[in-house]
Amino acid sequence: MTDPVILLQILWTGIAMSSYFVLFTVAFALTLKVEKLWNFAQAGLMGIAFYTMFWSLNAAHWPTWAGIVASVLLTIGVTIGMEIWAIDVLRRRHSSGLIFFIFTLIFSQFVAFLLTLLFGTEPETIFPSVMSPVRIVSGIAVSDWDLQAVGLTAALLIALYLLIRFTRDGQFMLAVADNEKLSEIYGISARRAYILSGVISALLIVAGIWLYGTRAGVTPDVPVDLILTAVIATLIGGLGRVFSAGMVAVGLALLQSFSILFIASKWQGLLLYGILFFALLVFPRGIPAWRPRRIQPAPKPAAPVQAEG
Amino acid sequence: MIEQLTRRLVLSAPAALWAGAAFAQQKEPFRFGALMPTTGPEAGYGLDFVKTYEMAVKDINDKGGVAGRPLEMIVLDTQAKPELAISGANKLIDVDKVAVVITAWSSVVKAVAPIANRTSVLELNMGANSPDIAHLGDYVYTVFPLAEVDVTALAKYTREKLGKSRAAVLYINNDTGIGGAKIYRDVFTAAGGQIVAFEAYDPKATDFTGVLLKARVGNPDVVHIHGLSELPQVIAQMRQLGMPQQITSYSAGYNPKLLAQLGAAAEGLIVTSLAPTAGTNPNVAKLLDLWKQVGRAPNGLPYLQYAWDSTVVVADLFAWVDKNKLPVTGENMRKALLEIKTFDLPMTGKLVVTNDHRVDKPVYLYVVKNGQFTLLDTIA
Amino acid sequence: MDYLASAGVLIGIYIILAAGYNLIIGYGGLNTIAHPIFFALGAYTTALLAIGTGLPPVICIAAGIGVAVIASVFLAVTTLRISGDYLLIASLGFQLGLLQAINNLDFTGGPSGLSNIPVTLSGPARGWLYLMITAALALLVIWLVHRGMSGPFGRAVRAMRDDDVACAALGRGLFTMKVVIFAFGCGTAGLAGGMYAYYFQYISPEQFNVAQSATILTMVVLGGIGTIWGPVLGAFVLVALPQVITFLQLPSSLVGPLQGLIFTSLVILFLFLRPHGLVGTRTPGAAH
Repeated sequence: MTDPVILLQILWTGIAMSSYFVLFTVAFALTLKVEKLWNFAQAGLMGIAFYTMFWSLNAAHWPTWAGIVASVLLTIGVTIGMEIWAIDVLRRRHSSGLIFFIFTLIFSQFVAFLLTLLFGTEPETIFPSVMSPVRIVSGIAVSDWDLQAVGLTAALLIALYLLIRFTRDGQFMLAVADNEKLSEIYGISARRAYILSGVISALLIVAGIWLYGTRAGVTPDVPVDLILTAVIATLIGGLGRVFSAGMVAVGLALLQSFSILFIASKWQGLLLYGILFFALLVFPRGIPAWRPRRIQPAPKPAAPVQAEG
Repeated sequence: MIEQLTRRLVLSAPAALWAGAAFAQQKEPFRFGALMPTTGPEAGYGLDFVKTYEMAVKDINDKGGVAGRPLEMIVLDTQAKPELAISGANKLIDVDKVAVVITAWSSVVKAVAPIANRTSVLELNMGANSPDIAHLGDYVYTVFPLAEVDVTALAKYTREKLGKSRAAVLYINNDTGIGGAKIYRDVFTAAGGQIVAFEAYDPKATDFTGVLLKARVGNPDVVHIHGLSELPQVIAQMRQLGMPQQITSYSAGYNPKLLAQLGAAAEGLIVTSLAPTAGTNPNVAKLLDLWKQVGRAPNGLPYLQYAWDSTVVVADLFAWVDKNKLPVTGENMRKALLEIKTFDLPMTGKLVVTNDHRVDKPVYLYVVKNGQFTLLDTIA
Repeated sequence: MDYLASAGVLIGIYIILAAGYNLIIGYGGLNTIAHPIFFALGAYTTALLAIGTGLPPVICIAAGIGVAVIASVFLAVTTLRISGDYLLIASLGFQLGLLQAINNLDFTGGPSGLSNIPVTLSGPARGWLYLMITAALALLVIWLVHRGMSGPFGRAVRAMRDDDVACAALGRGLFTMKVVIFAFGCGTAGLAGGMYAYYFQYISPEQFNVAQSATILTMVVLGGIGTIWGPVLGAFVLVALPQVITFLQLPSSLVGPLQGLIFTSLVILFLFLRPHGLVGTRTPGAAH
């Protein structure tokens, strides 16, 4: 099992498979950073995005591009609607973190039940076939899906980086993330920043579930599992560090993939939680090695224990 | 005079039939319970089971019922969850006062077992195949072959007929997978083969590269995958990694959807089935016709054949109890089951219920040829 | 009838779960989602001891409570020193990680669960005896929560929940209070687990997952967060109502998701229109 070809295969496939986790993680981390919201409702958004594409392509027989567009529009629509009619309302009421948490979690549950009612619970894939053309490169199997996954994820992350770095809205989002009240004083609309971060997250989610759903079966319950990995990666990557969280997502996926060399495969899932606890105990503020440039705000000084409770 | 009598008889015959039917309807029905997932993740199969039960009950009642009394089924939802199964079983037994309950899904069968044993109500398993089911107590029996039946036949066939000697076993890390994989391993090694890889994968996994590579390293000549709905993905990734070995699976692989998902990659796949097809059994064609009226293909046809037949078994038990003028209790239903012992069932053939709470059935092996499942062999 | 007694026992168990959870999130203001894992720890500890050693039920259940308390203290101490948000994620990771472990280990029965948990009470009155015991325990838990939250400790806890910075400034042992509340709430979940194991005689890992977390959360929210009787009402409604619906004989393919839709919609509506739940009253200045 230590043959270099095998190791490279595990590496390549691991990177390709981590693509959707990276997208979900970045979506989650971005919302957390800008809105300070642990948005578990994104699991519901994943479900909406997937089943819209599934229905468009398989029941309505629309062309692929139309299905994707429909999914993007609906997911963004729900995101904006939720922001305006729910999150904002709770925000203005100064609701506690608990209320936000309950709302976002129950929203995802609501969506899961609705999707069960509409689509049943058989695992479905976006296309009837899960096979993808494969070529062997130096002994390593590289499929079209792998290339699409890596390419799409890289393109979206680069686009996000450019948006944050070089556009006004991107900079405003960072400003709001850093200090909302101060930003408002300078005439930056926090609400606009929230909506923008929500829209970006929605796009990333659609891309992520597209990749997932063209390879593995989806049921209304699957998104809850997907978002958990995103949450863990966000925590380990460091709250407020979006790209760091994305890299952690890749790292976690690879760690799980390579763990096969040392432990029985059935323990792979547990590994994730073990890493989480280890990280919480040893790196409570996120992994320090990823000390980024000023793209992201400087880490907060050590706060009193209960200040963020 | 005779003519008048004849005319009266002829005229009254339909009336008598009608009166007979009405009389049957007025007679106290024979009630049995069914605990099935009609909602939740397993509802796709559960609802089809229920529909098939309904078809079978109607079929029996149209033919006059059981000893002139109608057969009636009461269905409660379990979502394949133990908690709901327990409250469902309690309701069926306490409120509806049934003497026999049909269950499926291993966790449900196990959850209901203590109640069945405590209240002396007969529990019949009709779809779960966990080998543990044979050890759940006096009142728990199965009318469906447990895992060892088809997996044993497959493992032996692979070793003895196909001549494979190095098997890699990949299985889903749950009740079904663990039980089935262990049986395969034990039988294959007992037949002189070698297990070169024995790997479980997480039920939620989507990347099977690691387990597949581990299997590949062992240089197997056959790969047995004991999985469920993720089976197509495992096979797809295996082929895409360039592994050409023979693949086998158990009855969960006997699914037309799998062919659609895999296309050419499914060629050569060998799976098991525990029920004869319409080609060998005309009653099955009748079942398919009934389903045509529903308007779609049923999920898991072999299981539905057992569903139909379990209704017939229940009807036979009621008939025996009635014939022997015994009260309808779980205890007497159990007695009936062990006394009758051999059932001639329309959809699946002969069923023999043994004292060790198991049943033996022929196993049908299918291979995918030109995109279709083709009968490969029958193992009695 | 055993059916009613069985439903009653289940309601009683959920009252204990909801009351403990309400103490943690409603009174303590601690965000966690992992209540079912302490339920699981209690159930599995009790079941394993009962099956393996034949010790009397009281001992087995006490051990279940003990394990739940120890685990909760471990979780609280490691995460609360950082922040409340971390407790949320850590507790979720703890729940799922431990469930994975239970799934993979042989001695816990793995995914098949533990069946054949020994009979403790038998006979025709079994259901009613269990019901009385469970009801008594549920009332005990509610009374303890009530007593705890009415005295000076309770006032300090509420102060902590509403503004813990100010509270810290007053010099109260915040950290200790949080750990104590968390431990007590999780201990009651352990108790519920022990009772569950003995009554239903079968437990499996799937009964303690995120869906169960959402159920208990729904009970507390609908009943009224931070109230004494809210959890009771919430537990009653969420257990009894689905049973009532089965008597209505609606088409079964609708019932399941429809129930889920109804309950989640209610929670969302309550969050916006009646955040104090069915039982609570609007309290000026409350954080919720």
